[in-house]
Amino acid sequence: MAEEIRIGVFVCDCGSNIAGYLDVKELAEYAKTLPHVVYVKENLYTCSEGGSNEIKAAIKEQNLNRVVVASCTPRTHEPLFRGTCGEGGLNPFLFEMVNIRDQCSWVHMQERKEGTAKAMDLIRMGVAKAALLEPQEPIQSEINPRAMVMGAGISGMTAALALANRGYEVVLVEKSSETGGLLRSLDRLAPSGIDAASLADRHAEMVGNHPNIRLLTSTTVEEIQGYIGHFNVTTNTKGVRDGFEAGVIIVATGAGVLKPVGLFQYDGEKVINQLELEERLKSETFSPGNVVMIQCAGARNEERKYCSRICCMVAIKNAIALKERNARTGVRILYRDIQAYGTENEALFQKAKELGVLFIKYDPARPPQVQQGTVKVFHDLLGRELSLPQDLVVLSTPLIAGDDNEVISRLLRVSLDENKFFLEGHVKLKPLDFATDGVYLCGNAHYPATVREAISQALGAASRASIPLSKGVMSVEPIVSTLVDEEACRGCGLCVALCPYGALEIVKTEKGRKVRVIPVACKGCGVCAATCYQHALSVNSYTDDQVRKQISAFLNP
Amino acid sequence: MQYTTDVRIIRLMCTGRVDPTMIADAFIEGADGLMVVGCHFGDCHYITGNVQARVKVGLAVRLLDYAGLNPARISFSQCSSAEGERFVSLITAFDRSIRELGPLGTGDRLEPPVLKKKLHIARTALGREKLRWVAGKFTEFTTTGNKYGEKFTDHEMWRTLDTIIMDEMATHEILDALQSRPQAVLELARELRLPPPHILKYVLALQRRGLVGLAGVEGLSPVYRVIDQEAATAA
Repeated sequence: MAEEIRIGVFVCDCGSNIAGYLDVKELAEYAKTLPHVVYVKENLYTCSEGGSNEIKAAIKEQNLNRVVVASCTPRTHEPLFRGTCGEGGLNPFLFEMVNIRDQCSWVHMQERKEGTAKAMDLIRMGVAKAALLEPQEPIQSEINPRAMVMGAGISGMTAALALANRGYEVVLVEKSSETGGLLRSLDRLAPSGIDAASLADRHAEMVGNHPNIRLLTSTTVEEIQGYIGHFNVTTNTKGVRDGFEAGVIIVATGAGVLKPVGLFQYDGEKVINQLELEERLKSETFSPGNVVMIQCAGARNEERKYCSRICCMVAIKNAIALKERNARTGVRILYRDIQAYGTENEALFQKAKELGVLFIKYDPARPPQVQQGTVKVFHDLLGRELSLPQDLVVLSTPLIAGDDNEVISRLLRVSLDENKFFLEGHVKLKPLDFATDGVYLCGNAHYPATVREAISQALGAASRASIPLSKGVMSVEPIVSTLVDEEACRGCGLCVALCPYGALEIVKTEKGRKVRVIPVACKGCGVCAATCYQHALSVNSYTDDQVRKQISAFLNP
Repeated sequence: MQYTTDVRIIRLMCTGRVDPTMIADAFIEGADGLMVVGCHFGDCHYITGNVQARVKVGLAVRLLDYAGLNPARISFSQCSSAEGERFVSLITAFDRSIRELGPLGTGDRLEPPVLKKKLHIARTALGREKLRWVAGKFTEFTTTGNKYGEKFTDHEMWRTLDTIIMDEMATHEILDALQSRPQAVLELARELRLPPPHILKYVLALQRRGLVGLAGVEGLSPVYRVIDQEAATAA
């Protein structure tokens, strides 16, 4: 026979926060009349030490097996009261919270009678749900202390080194045959003037010599299964497949460069892009006569609405380089808006102007025309067309999302933004994490970044990734999806396709194909339970029965 | 920040948890209005939970509307946890519109007893495979497409669901009617207010599924019955 349900209800005055606007005495009296309620106590502050002691004492003395607290918001106080229940010897998930402060006393300050009546309903609904609560055990899972970093550009190498230096094993996977990524194509880096290739070489050497880093070049990631702590990775190195397990994954796959074919007479010879200019700048003797740079070439248009953000500074940096090489080089930058954020960048912008670099604003509705020996541009401020002499035209083209981003996003079950760059979990709260636990992101894979920004992000991502790595074990709140009716499940996979976290999988069992919940990966949103036509899935502490019981307790007491 | 005392809040982790049957349950239990309030689109705490909720709530609205409920009794709104003022204005506006409609059964297409019966049928349909399968496939079919790579617009998917809603309501109503006593097509047509040829089509489909069989012939009309009460209830 099932154990008798014995519910204790604690009604909090919250000083005058609740008691000032609701009749708490009446609430307490009312709670005594509810089914299964064997004990009711009004507290001045249920969350105070005295209040929690009363909860703990009542659990023991009254033999309570469910606790309901009618007080404030679970956002701040649910963990506390759960902890109190746990200390009192009750499973923390046999606790239900009713919010009579935010939902009653604060928002019905002038309506004591109606507000109190509403609070009674809410308590009745909470008690009804509490009667159906079941104990839950926290979900623990070990974390494999190895990390995988995808991409060995400056971001990937920085992240890999940061983790390796903390003592974690890192597998650094690079699809091309060498490390360094975009750095290999650059000349010098602003504002420090460091030589890009030597920075790449220095990092490559540290990576190569580090005992904790295993570098796999010419390698693609073919498959990723699993979840935080246990990602099973299958790699392919020149046709040879291999596999390993990693606890966390950092995506540092960088970005591509737009080849502006069909734009402004681009030919790679007389009309080139900034990257091709930097290749030429590596030769000390290179010094063209007149150079015209055109900003936003292939960016901020219908096809690519975004601003690539770094091209203004790249143009300014290269313009300075040209001027410093030969002051008589004419450099004219045709721009739409200049992005020179931060003190150092602003200083470089000023320096370029002082060196005689001419900045000419153009209207995208009347774009510059590249002709033999000249560039014709309508000067927005002068209100007339200028004809600028040119021996070389340099197009500032945007960084574009890597062409395998879509494949990687499917492998990892992470999101891309509208421009196919990887999308962080939250702009402000989780800028280096994906929404999926255990996967992090840095550098150009996220959005065009300068080398300095890429390095900062890489260090940040490594730092985020080392949180689960250093814990070694992770504990997850057990409010997750569960297969409550295995018999009913047909293994159709409808839920698997809709799970935002990849927390469901179809497995072969003795009874055929069945869904399996991966509790560590599940966040408890309940999409699967609301979808299943066999009603085989449910969410702990938010079961169909519990929600229905709340509905009927409200409407048909 | 004050609002009406007439609203009771049930907390869920995500609007994605809202099972369409819960919405039907609320009205069966006698609610006059129901709001589903979740994150703004593109800013869902659970990534895509609200996108799924849009489909589930949309399905419930269409089906319950077809069953006779005024669809204005259901609202699906977006409001972040930092938008208290917005929450208040949403609730206030909804409360006002429900007050204008009056209690359940006034301002709806059907009167209370008939409405309640239809809501029960609708709830059954919302719990069954057909509608839930299409609702579950909704976003896949409108974004990545089906197995053959065919993509459908929202409009096409809703139209498909509307057709299935009619089929499912009729099917479950017929089963429900035949469970109480065997009937001829004409009688069913009168009771369900549907054209007899439609009823015949559904009855024959139920016969093919082995749920309904011939009970006899009255005059010139065949009379149908439910073969197995239990199977009919589970269908």
